[in-house]
Amino acid sequence: MGVVNCMHTNLMKNKLVWIVGAIVVVLVLFVWSSYNGFVVKNEAVDGQWAQVETQYQRRMDLIPNLVSSVQGGMKQETAVFSAIADARTKYGSAKTVDEKAAAATGVESAFSRLLVVMENYPQLKSIETVHNLMVQLEGTENRVSVERQRFNDTVKDYNMSAKRFPGNIIASMFGFKDRTYFEAAQGAEVAPKVNF
Amino acid sequence: MRRVVTLFLAAFAVIPIMASAYTNPGTPRGFVNDFAGILQPQEKLQLEQKIALFASSTSNEIAVVTIPNLGNDTIENFAVKLFEDWKIGKAKKDNGVLLLIARDDHKVRIEVGYGLEGALTDLQSDSIITNDITPNFRAEQYYRGIDAAVSDIMAATQGEYTASSNDSRAVNVLFEYWYLIPFAFMFLASILGRSKSWWAGGVVGGVAGVIIGLIYGFFYFGIVVTAVLIPVGLLFDFVVSRSYNRYVNGIGGMPWWMRGGRGGPGGFGGGGFGGFGGGRSGGGGASGDW
Repeated sequence: MGVVNCMHTNLMKNKLVWIVGAIVVVLVLFVWSSYNGFVVKNEAVDGQWAQVETQYQRRMDLIPNLVSSVQGGMKQETAVFSAIADARTKYGSAKTVDEKAAAATGVESAFSRLLVVMENYPQLKSIETVHNLMVQLEGTENRVSVERQRFNDTVKDYNMSAKRFPGNIIASMFGFKDRTYFEAAQGAEVAPKVNF
Repeated sequence: MRRVVTLFLAAFAVIPIMASAYTNPGTPRGFVNDFAGILQPQEKLQLEQKIALFASSTSNEIAVVTIPNLGNDTIENFAVKLFEDWKIGKAKKDNGVLLLIARDDHKVRIEVGYGLEGALTDLQSDSIITNDITPNFRAEQYYRGIDAAVSDIMAATQGEYTASSNDSRAVNVLFEYWYLIPFAFMFLASILGRSKSWWAGGVVGGVAGVIIGLIYGFFYFGIVVTAVLIPVGLLFDFVVSRSYNRYVNGIGGMPWWMRGGRGGPGGFGGGGFGGFGGGRSGGGGASGDW
């Protein structure tokens, strides 16, 4: 009787070990795959931000060309030109993603003011270099808005999985923080539209 | 109570309005998709053949799409979204060009894939629109305008890429090694068939599921794949074991998986439009109107 009882408890113990082991294996696999998922999604956000920055750089390279080709024709608009110069300096000294996003928005608003002012100088439109630069800038603005939208999509994807249960547990365990969306400043949501 | 329900419903009703106005005009039936009906069947056919020939020699994919209207969207946004949906151009080369024409809005856009941004610049796209599209469209010569624009797009993008045999449709990493799958299959079959055990196939299926789950990094996806692959593995083991036993006992012929390799998969059907290849764009190109 005692022997049977002992065997019975042994069997029970064995079963318990198996069950606990299985649970541990599932948990480890879950943490592993979930952690890797966060790494991948975080990298996707960084990669997409690099795409945005490439287009920012392209814009920064084009703006001085345009400025120098129109400056002669609109000498009295010094305020606009100095605003653009200030904004570009700020962008140049920005370090973090958030700083750069804010500085780029500053460049955007200063630049769109130039475009508005340029409407008063119709004779500029007929200059071929000005026209060509405007076409290129328009293309760049469109690229910026496309890549920024995709940036926000990847941030959303990352943030969703970092906030939803059970991903949020893993995220807080390994310090995966929320990423910030790119938010356009007021009036800068729409890329400046140029009709040349 | 009623007010709460109304508010609740209102909150949901707002969501579709806030979403972008883009709607997919349909699945591509060829390189030329005349949803707005501005081309004669004969003209459409000529354009289609011209672009198909160009695509087969250069691998560049040019899509001509006409739509009735933009539905309050901008043509820039519509073009990017349509490019995303249809994936014009080959994967990795991103060598697609979309010529989008909105009939009622009188707007046109050339959207250039990432891989052709150097060959077909914004400036070139702009001049194609102002020289080919605008004057012809104003005279209601739609075919002539589109044909001239397509010719200029071809001239600009020619020589940028060459067609190669490994141009694949939109595929992921797993399918890049698709030719290994039959071998892996036969390898597994011969081991599992000979083995006495009936459960090994299930174990192999389960392990494969876990590995797939870990590679792709989606926990739930992995669980589902594992749950599906275990019974599939068991069934597979059962089938090959039985046919092996039959063969050993002299009942059936030699199972097909022991006869060595058969020919590879048949050639892909030539000619005809087989869908776009997985290209991407990032807002390059130019827009215009007429």
